[in-house]
Amino acid sequence: MLPEKVTDDSGTTRDERARRGDARAAAAASSPADAPAASVRGLSKSFKGVRVLEDVSFDVAEGEALVLLGASGSGKTTILRVLAGLERPDSGSVHLHGRDVTDLPARERGVGVIFQSYALFPRMTVEQNVGYGLRIRGRKRRDVKEKVESLLELVHLVDQRKKLPAQLSGGQQQRVAIARTLAYEPQMLLFDEPFGALDAQIRVRLRREIRALLRDVNVPALFITHDQEEALELGDRIAVLHSGHLEQIGTPEEVYNRPETEYVATFLGAANLLLGVVARGNRVELGTVAVEAGSEAGRFQVGQSVKLVFRPEDVRVSKTGELPADCNPLANGVVEEKHFVGAYERLSVRLDLVARAPRPGEPPLYEISETPERRLGVPVIVTRTKSETSAAPLRVGDRVTLCLTIFRVLPNFPLASERGGRVIDTQK
Amino acid sequence: MSAAVSAMRHVRGFDPAKPFGLGMVILLMLPLVLLPLASIFIFGMKDGMRSFWVALSAPDAVFALKLSVVTSFYATLFNVVFGILAAYVLSRYTFFGRTAIIVTISLPTAIPTAVAGFALLLLWGKYGMIGRFISEDHQLMFTPYAIILANIFVTFPLAFGVLMSVFETMDRSLEEASATIGATRWQTFWHVTLPSLRGAIVTGALLTFARAIGEFGSTILVSGNLAGSTQTAPLYIFAKFNEGQVEAANAVAIVLALFSFAIFSVLFFARDWIEGK
Repeated sequence: MLPEKVTDDSGTTRDERARRGDARAAAAASSPADAPAASVRGLSKSFKGVRVLEDVSFDVAEGEALVLLGASGSGKTTILRVLAGLERPDSGSVHLHGRDVTDLPARERGVGVIFQSYALFPRMTVEQNVGYGLRIRGRKRRDVKEKVESLLELVHLVDQRKKLPAQLSGGQQQRVAIARTLAYEPQMLLFDEPFGALDAQIRVRLRREIRALLRDVNVPALFITHDQEEALELGDRIAVLHSGHLEQIGTPEEVYNRPETEYVATFLGAANLLLGVVARGNRVELGTVAVEAGSEAGRFQVGQSVKLVFRPEDVRVSKTGELPADCNPLANGVVEEKHFVGAYERLSVRLDLVARAPRPGEPPLYEISETPERRLGVPVIVTRTKSETSAAPLRVGDRVTLCLTIFRVLPNFPLASERGGRVIDTQK
Repeated sequence: MSAAVSAMRHVRGFDPAKPFGLGMVILLMLPLVLLPLASIFIFGMKDGMRSFWVALSAPDAVFALKLSVVTSFYATLFNVVFGILAAYVLSRYTFFGRTAIIVTISLPTAIPTAVAGFALLLLWGKYGMIGRFISEDHQLMFTPYAIILANIFVTFPLAFGVLMSVFETMDRSLEEASATIGATRWQTFWHVTLPSLRGAIVTGALLTFARAIGEFGSTILVSGNLAGSTQTAPLYIFAKFNEGQVEAANAVAIVLALFSFAIFSVLFFARDWIEGK
């Protein structure tokens, strides 16, 4: 399935939002066939004066799995609760299959929520739990029985049908919770931290199972997680949330390889950040070194303060000075530390560049060590795969040349809370 | 209890508090609780089962016990139904005056029962603030209804307290799950909330019943204490004792004591069953 084009509403004003009200009516009138499964526009929400959501907009396409990724307190659970109808947004709208459901209560939305605790009814058997949605809809007993039967087969729980939830394992309980929502053919499935309560080993297995199950039933799904590995594996697309604001939305590859903000870069995996200034000829000056940054630097004005962002695995290291083609030379350095961490090797390399001292107001990005000999330079983290390691073994103290295969140049804002030209008032 | 015992394992050596404390407790319990209770049974049985039965089957005694059971039953019923309603509303919604209502509901626990009965009498009595507007034939005081009213006044905080604490600690995600599945408020309440309340309902009902069946202070004021008409079991015990018919009083006392033992045993030993474990 193709990722939806996402409208970025981060720059909209109040007037524009008001005009969108008319657009909303038009959208509702248009045929629901070409509407996304779920569409969230301009969602804002405060709890007791604290902003938890700030103008969040995104779409979930038919059959797509979107993962909302964020640290605790980023507002991801609030988004799920708003979609489910358990929370009312202060402003903004929610459309499901083209229908405006913003003011609809939870029970009329036809959305399936899989709670973190699974929220299975403790005094009902597995069968009764799964059939609950049909029984309260007054379906015939025989129809309920048939549907429950087929759902239990789907989630491989036929043998457990007479058991109470407390007698099942965490994974089984989760499958009951999913079957219970599938019973009434939900328009969308919402998973709240679905693997949070499970062991690390089971987690990996279950998320593959759920992924396969979702493909079978072809229901659009929204996952909420703070686990980046989980997000990368589960999502057709990932939306990264940070303090109530949508930082970036895109395929796992896009979000991982082309982070649009510093937060995304550092939250999804490890990243090296080097403070620099854009120079003439699409170059980024890092102290005494200039890196050819091409179009990445071209997006900025000469003299603008930027950060060079790259992941540890996107660095190539060479002892001989020979670098592969299409790899941008960075600088020379000395291997300072070497750690074996299972699947790969992690190096700490101190680059031979005199760090540019941060300007007043700028956050210091890296420490210049204050040891007696006062070594100059900047340490970066590099990881190498086993094949790289065995092809060119390195020792601590070796002098190496570094180059970058993938990197980004991002604006450097004086305050971490200030991004994309918008200011989130931290006093609120 | 076992947790408290094992928590002391880290202390080594002889702890004088153990024999001394235990000795004190047993010494106090004997004359305060155990011996008085035992004495009812010893006294009741001193002339054999026959005289006990004779004393118990006196018409007024039978009536008094019946009246106590019936009035306590209605008070219990009221407490459970309205206790659930009150606890539901007060735990699910926040509104102006919520705390004031909770305090008001819980207040009677702190009021002496005789004061409670007296207050009811002043309000509902023939010349009371409300009672004066009620016709002679429909007067509430000095009828079994007055007993029920007094019982509710005294016991409602008990049932409410038990139910409220369960409502407040209940996992809300169950109700939310039910709502997202498509259940109406009523369906959610019936299928999800009520089953979780089972333990609290049984506990609240038993507490109410145990308290109501032994209520004396308020009932003696509002009931009129007419033998065979508005005399409950505790009042019967008091009246017979005053008349010097100790055997008659004792027979009813034994029955009341057994009632309390039964209820207490259920609350204490069948806790797991009550909570549905």
